[in-house]
Amino acid sequence: MPHPLHELTIKTFHDGLLKKEFSALEVAQAFFEHIKRSDQKIGAYLELLEEPALREAEATDLALARKEEIGLLAGAPLAIKDNILIKGAHATAGSKILENHIASYDAGVIQKLKNRKAVFLGKTNLDEFAMGSSTENSAFKKTKNPRDIERVPGGSSGGSAAAVAGHMAIAALGSDTGGSIRQPAAFCGVVGLKPTYGAVSRSGLIAMASSLDQIGPITKTVEDAAILFVAISGRDPLDATSAETKYDNSLLSPELNSVEHLKIGVPDEYFSGGLDQSVTHGIDSAMDKLKSLGLRLTPISLPHTKYALSCYYVIMPAEVSANLARFDGIRYGREHAAGAKTLSDVYLEERGKGFGQETKRRIILGTFVLSSGYYDAYYKKAQQVRSLVSADFDAAFKKVDVILAPVTPTPAFKLGEKTDDPLAMYLSDIFTIPANLAGVPALSIPVKDSSPLPVGFQLIGRHFHEADILGIGQFYERLN
Amino acid sequence: MSSLIDKKELEHLAELARIKLRPEEEKQLLHDMQNILEHVKELNSVPTDGVEPMNGGTRLTNIFREDEERENTNRGAGHDGFPKEDGGFLSVPPVFE
Repeated sequence: MPHPLHELTIKTFHDGLLKKEFSALEVAQAFFEHIKRSDQKIGAYLELLEEPALREAEATDLALARKEEIGLLAGAPLAIKDNILIKGAHATAGSKILENHIASYDAGVIQKLKNRKAVFLGKTNLDEFAMGSSTENSAFKKTKNPRDIERVPGGSSGGSAAAVAGHMAIAALGSDTGGSIRQPAAFCGVVGLKPTYGAVSRSGLIAMASSLDQIGPITKTVEDAAILFVAISGRDPLDATSAETKYDNSLLSPELNSVEHLKIGVPDEYFSGGLDQSVTHGIDSAMDKLKSLGLRLTPISLPHTKYALSCYYVIMPAEVSANLARFDGIRYGREHAAGAKTLSDVYLEERGKGFGQETKRRIILGTFVLSSGYYDAYYKKAQQVRSLVSADFDAAFKKVDVILAPVTPTPAFKLGEKTDDPLAMYLSDIFTIPANLAGVPALSIPVKDSSPLPVGFQLIGRHFHEADILGIGQFYERLN
Repeated sequence: MSSLIDKKELEHLAELARIKLRPEEEKQLLHDMQNILEHVKELNSVPTDGVEPMNGGTRLTNIFREDEERENTNRGAGHDGFPKEDGGFLSVPPVFE
């Protein structure tokens, strides 16, 4: 292999293919060799798809041999979070209740990537049903942070982030309901994009909280995030909330003069105490670099930020309790509970045994906030506060084009540090949740030269203005 | 701290959610739920009179399509996951004892 795996991005892989520095098959084989050597230590993958992956890689080599034109993603080896369906592969969502579930169709994003001849190396670990911030809630295994294996990779897309950071995939897909792409990206030192709500189809994503969930890329560079995002975005008739969008490859080659006039707002509320010193330093350094590009930074206020977490922990469980009602312990490949006399016994037994602690906590909490007598006090109130959080962003985006904020209050924490205290775990998503509530796009970018642990900063954009945050991000990553 | 939820209520919710809880789970869950509900109580301090609830992830308006017949190319695929099947139907224990 002329190119060590850790140097490959989607872009350099594509360039290398065209220059015949390697074949797609060689690269895919090298990835599987590396995964088999390294993943015992990291635990990023739940299932490898070696046979179909090698076949797809060969198809790209054949196309090249026939001198056909190939796209940027042809042959690109990707990792896919295990709550996204690939027909014929397991889709467990990290839950025991789905351990035998084989997907019967492709998710909308998978269809789009198959059309572009991408290669799927395997399915990655996650917190059960994407509920968690450390990937310690998976029913199958705990994933470790490749930058420090005593620490968590973040969650819930911890397997995808660890696969990219550990050079076990060129790039990956994750899903983000309250920060599940951006927080693990920040913890592992890679790039993560949560697109605008509706920009990417949710068809074939095992639903957690449908008004908040979005699929997005986890990559080594902002440029790669743009490449994957353009490929997976767009209207899908199977997701009624997906929007007609006009994203194109201009996102991949932003012009400095279209970016440098953008005004960046820095919200006071995200810096009011509780930030780890390494995060404060990291954000300061990122702001200095952005200023060196000619960008103007100005203080702004998002006054309802402090209520976002509480708002989220009412709305999200409510949607979870409804979405997870479909897991009855009968369909999706579970055997009947032995000795169950009635259908109701099967439900009680199988859901009691098949769901983990965090999942049960959220289903029951959601059942509570939706029950009569509490609905107005909790659920409706939270929806009203969601409107106010969203209106804060609208007001801010009248004054600025992009908002800069930390991704997490601290760098990656130690395994086991927060497993006994759900509220402490929830607080690690405090800076990522508001973007989900408002439905705006947000990008997590690693701060340059942060050590020993990676730190990320977040760029939040207007609805459907991914071009702004990806544009600034690409200029940032080109700086020394 | 006045408790926002008690054991009896938790058992009722678990029954509604069709989840059988072990006694030790119940104790832990009650403790966690009380902590979480205590935290989210802060929402009561936000004035929301006249604020329209945001009840979805998007403010886009509804788009209608014609109700046309469409061919389903994946029909029956879900059957593969059925543990017990009878003539294309999912076989389950009786609903009533």
